[in-house]
Amino acid sequence: MYAIEAVNLTKKYGDFVANEDINISIEQGEITAIVGENGAGKTTLMNMFFGLQRPTGGELKVQGKEVSFNSSLDAINCGLGMVHQHFKLVPSLTVFENILLGAELKKNFGIFGKAGFKSPIIDRSLERKTVQKLIDDYKFELNSEDIVDSISIGAKQRVEILKMLYRNVDILIFDEPTAVLTPQEVDELLASFKELKNQGKTIILITHKLREVMEVSDKVVVIKRGRVVGTRNTKDTDAAELARLMVGREVILNVNKEDRDTSRSKVVYSVKNLSTVNNFGKKVLDDISFDIKEGEILGVAGVEGNGQSELVRVLSGLMESTGGSVSLHNQDITNWWPGELRASGVGIVPEDRYAQGLCKDMTISDNLIAGYHNNPCLCKNGLLMKKEIEKQGDRLIEKYDIRIAERNGNVSQLSGGNAQKIIVAREFDSDPKLLLVSQPTRGVDIGSIEFIHRKILELRAAGKAILLVSSELSEIMNLSDRIIVMYKGKIVGELPGKNAGSERLGLMMAGLPAE
Amino acid sequence: MKKRDTILRSIYNVLFPVIGALFLGGIVIAAIGENPFTTYAIMIQKSLLSGGGLLKTLHFAAPLILTGLAIAITFKANIFNMGVEGQAVLGAFFAGVVGFTVKGLPPVLHIGLCVLTGMVVGMLFALIPAVLKAYFNVNEMVVTLMLNYVVVEIVKFLSQGVFKDPGSGYVSTYPIADSAMFKKLFNSDLTAFFFIALIVFGLMYVVFKYSKLGYEVTAIGKNPEFSEATGMKVSRKIMTIMLISGAISGLAGAGFLMSEKFRFTLDFSGSPGLGWDGMLIALLGSHNPVGILIAAIFYSALKTGSDYISVFTNVPKDIVGVIQGMLILLLSVKFLNRNFNLADRLKAIWKKAGSKGRKAL
Repeated sequence: MYAIEAVNLTKKYGDFVANEDINISIEQGEITAIVGENGAGKTTLMNMFFGLQRPTGGELKVQGKEVSFNSSLDAINCGLGMVHQHFKLVPSLTVFENILLGAELKKNFGIFGKAGFKSPIIDRSLERKTVQKLIDDYKFELNSEDIVDSISIGAKQRVEILKMLYRNVDILIFDEPTAVLTPQEVDELLASFKELKNQGKTIILITHKLREVMEVSDKVVVIKRGRVVGTRNTKDTDAAELARLMVGREVILNVNKEDRDTSRSKVVYSVKNLSTVNNFGKKVLDDISFDIKEGEILGVAGVEGNGQSELVRVLSGLMESTGGSVSLHNQDITNWWPGELRASGVGIVPEDRYAQGLCKDMTISDNLIAGYHNNPCLCKNGLLMKKEIEKQGDRLIEKYDIRIAERNGNVSQLSGGNAQKIIVAREFDSDPKLLLVSQPTRGVDIGSIEFIHRKILELRAAGKAILLVSSELSEIMNLSDRIIVMYKGKIVGELPGKNAGSERLGLMMAGLPAE
Repeated sequence: MKKRDTILRSIYNVLFPVIGALFLGGIVIAAIGENPFTTYAIMIQKSLLSGGGLLKTLHFAAPLILTGLAIAITFKANIFNMGVEGQAVLGAFFAGVVGFTVKGLPPVLHIGLCVLTGMVVGMLFALIPAVLKAYFNVNEMVVTLMLNYVVVEIVKFLSQGVFKDPGSGYVSTYPIADSAMFKKLFNSDLTAFFFIALIVFGLMYVVFKYSKLGYEVTAIGKNPEFSEATGMKVSRKIMTIMLISGAISGLAGAGFLMSEKFRFTLDFSGSPGLGWDGMLIALLGSHNPVGILIAAIFYSALKTGSDYISVFTNVPKDIVGVIQGMLILLLSVKFLNRNFNLADRLKAIWKKAGSKGRKAL
């Protein structure tokens, strides 16, 4: 008997097939990794497992019984739990309050020693004890009385896991659990996976990071274009084979970049003592200074939420700085509008693709001119030159290999990778002097990652200055000439890109300065 | 293929409410004991198929085309100028004031001056919510909506006081001078104002379809954060859009006064009012200039047609109010559908009920 078995599971949205004839059997007490590129249908599959979406065909069996979930509550009652990528916790409450949210333990008023009626008053001491016991049982490092806001991201994730464990689930689904963790926290998480497995839990891990798959899983299922393309025992396979299955061809996992000496190149971009506060008056950037030279990539590493987003927002004109200066080729461009920045030669690949980078409900060619629509070849006397715009659209679609079903279609029809390529095409093709690139490959398939990395390196070879902000450590380490690490709005240190070593980077990301 | 789909869908979106409203109106007419088909035939015959009727329809369509466009441009940017009514009334009032106080100008100049006054007043009045929205992030929907009541009181005060025509039996300002009136053309109701409305329509068509402003308005409406990040100064664009909307509204009011009413009375805008009709027309025309043109003519035809049905049949002209009400109701179905997937939900309920029914059998 399998823990979960999917038989010919199918999910269609209109004509679009998200999952087709998925047959997966997941053994009790094993760790099964489900890998695939973004848009391959992993998340849809998991949402069907967890009752968030209903399959349009096939059947789903849990512990041998056929089930049909109407909501995630049904799934939890069947012993399935999911830990989402974005945590659903109340920051101002304590760990134990979060875990028991919705299942509070009430004070019991016993009459003559018998079990009496339940009162509406929460029994905090009982709650605390219950949760602490749970934490000890699973050997998690957590204090039940800490306020969630003050604990680390890794700890928050453990709270999420405990939330599920408290509800007696036997099968845990993890959706991209390591995306927000430092390397050390990833190791801790992988260790707790093993501990959970020892306690007899079944784990399903959705990821595209092959290192974790190789390290922790027993079985790997590869999904591509909504179908299962391969099932392997982890010990019989390797990362290269899995990558090939995912993409359908050989993939170069490491970028080869030529070394070059930039010590005598000209400084293009210079940021001095930059500071800013957020809407709540909290200082989120504190005295940031760095230079970028011609043909140099400066990587910004750090755990998410340590000021990298704000740095990009300030540099790209979406947030005002409260102190310090920014200059491009010795021209002061502090607090310029995004339009002025683009006109002066700053290309911007924003962090949030669909919020700041693209307008989903506009056509591809309209998106390809956004930010550059004042350009005299595209716009004369306030009227847009439709023909020129279409011509440019065709040219960029061809040059940047954007795969589209239909030229006049909207961006919302594109996969993450192709949508990102639109931004890349728009910003890279405008011949910028400086590129601000933020999370260029988040949620992007391997093929597009390869392509975007190559384009970034091409621009580096052409002598552009590039600021690269990414939470993907391997990306930073592979591409950057120098790496600065941010922690709580400050730069804690700088490392050369070559041989930075994830261990050292990880320590700096946790706030320990480089020795 | 996709494009054809969307066109089909938009036709369906417009035709379904129109046909539905006419159908429900037909039931009401039948309930009165009249034949709905002959009633509708008379309506269409008199308002669209006869020469004089058609020109009358076009004449009344002119201000509606303008208010429809004034609303559409703001809605497109996802800003809600609910104050078109107030801006139109205020514009009309001051156009009227200029119309009867300034004397001795040649007609072309006088008309031009009045029209300009109406537009500027409409613009200035739209400036209040525009500044509040763009620089203080005050909800424009509330401000514009409330300012309509301010307008009602202002014009009431002024037309009962300083500008009251003592010769008139009811509250009214002086009639405008002959030189400020749009002259009737072709021996019908139609005036040059209709052609001004057509020119504005042409301009707005180009703005929506081909201009940078139209592109930016669409982008702002669909994703303001994206627009800001790609260098469109959103707050400044909001000002521009509101001012354009105010100017067109003012023009609508001024033109209506100078081509039809000739003096300002308290019921100038009618009921429900030019601005509110314009809102319905913008919705019916899916915020698309061509759609608005057609919708305005259709709507105006309903109104002119209604004058005739009470003459030729026993159906009261208020039936048009019923049809308008149904139209609003059915148009809102479109929004429910878009925002809450009403059709899908109904389908699901239907299916469920169906399968239960089968099981019970």
